[in-house]
Amino acid sequence: MPSTVVHVGFALLLAAGLLGDYYDRRALAVVIAIVVLPEIDSFLGPIMPGAHRAVGHNFVLPAAAAVLLYYDTQIRRESLLRNRLSERWIVVAWVGLFVHVFAHIALDWAHLDGVNVFWPLHDRFYRLEGEILLSTADGFVQTFVDIQTDPETGSRRVDTGEGGTTETVHVNNPVEPRDPSEVTDEPIDRRFPIANRGWRLYLIGLGLFALVARTLQGDGPIEDA
Amino acid sequence: MAPTLVNAAVGVLLAAALLGAAFDRRAVVIVVAAAVLPDLDAVASLVVPGATNALFHTLWLPLVAGVVLYWDTTLRDASWLRDRAGWYGVRVAWVALAAFVVAGVGPELFGREGVNLLYPLHDAYYHVRGRLVFSTQEGIVQTFVALSAEGPGILPLQSPGTTASYAIPTWVNPDGRPGLSLGAERELYLVRSGWQAVVVASAAAVIAVRFGWSQTEVSE
Repeated sequence: MPSTVVHVGFALLLAAGLLGDYYDRRALAVVIAIVVLPEIDSFLGPIMPGAHRAVGHNFVLPAAAAVLLYYDTQIRRESLLRNRLSERWIVVAWVGLFVHVFAHIALDWAHLDGVNVFWPLHDRFYRLEGEILLSTADGFVQTFVDIQTDPETGSRRVDTGEGGTTETVHVNNPVEPRDPSEVTDEPIDRRFPIANRGWRLYLIGLGLFALVARTLQGDGPIEDA
Repeated sequence: MAPTLVNAAVGVLLAAALLGAAFDRRAVVIVVAAAVLPDLDAVASLVVPGATNALFHTLWLPLVAGVVLYWDTTLRDASWLRDRAGWYGVRVAWVALAAFVVAGVGPELFGREGVNLLYPLHDAYYHVRGRLVFSTQEGIVQTFVALSAEGPGILPLQSPGTTASYAIPTWVNPDGRPGLSLGAERELYLVRSGWQAVVVASAAAVIAVRFGWSQTEVSE
């Protein structure tokens, strides 16, 4: 995984942009908790092979949560959540969901073996990798979704970055630092990455910058408006 | 340069996070413009040798702007900016300045090309590359800050070269050297990797949510 610290960094920036008037320490803490929680699937790894990057890292559960949240707060006449929570925490829940999808799952999607996008409906890891450019020689080029046509048979092959399934893919993490199916005598080296690339350090810095800047700046227009 | 689209996306995210009550369409446009501005030195590189990621990416520009802004809005008795544009203007100016540095220069500094941070006083490109890991076998491993880095730099960062030895190709200037090379193949990168696609998508989603919000609030 890009480390949890990177997710939190990007999450702080997004949360600061979305929470609006509800931005405060408690709301931030809840959003961060929602972002960090899915990493728990690392601990499921020893019991359920391939759980990391599948159970907590997919787009199905957030979509289901969004549908439930929408149904409960908008469509139902008597909302379970509205009865218990103020408007503020419903906004925080939406922001948490948004930030979880973009700052956690989407970033992991672009890293190592990717995430198990449609788990538990369809067990397959996908990886987001490629580039988009305009070239004077080739026109518009994008390599995220690779469509190849076989010149002989004319059949099309679409490569969206598919990888293996929970059976075959193991994404290393501090709980299971290497693929359990590998047998070696080397001492176990548990690595807790903080930032393995410049851009990951950058995302951490972005989040901290947003946090500090929000603390330094004043509250709002003072009398002079 | 990192794709300008990525600079703009980070600018959008900073605008949403920091503008507060000054958040409106005009303010977002100003902040994003500030985030994109440094990349214009690629145009200057057609005339000035090695201007890409140097001329407008240098830290002296925002430093001077920051000092002037601080002096005008805090130290002076009557602020020129506040008289003209009020609280709104001061907030937008600070966020635009932050976007210039963080969104405009940052992705290049932490990316593959590097930035000539102290240009023109000291000519060397820098980039922040490396890793920061805690390992149970090796302890904390850190390679971002290199105290004894080789190269022309005086900052403790890796340096790929100077304006004379290191040219950055862009779509404006494919060989990175002065002169128009009209026949050359040009490539305008929009997104260069998966994480950049994620940042751009996040910015698009945030801006949609924020402007969608203010419209429903008005209509209610």
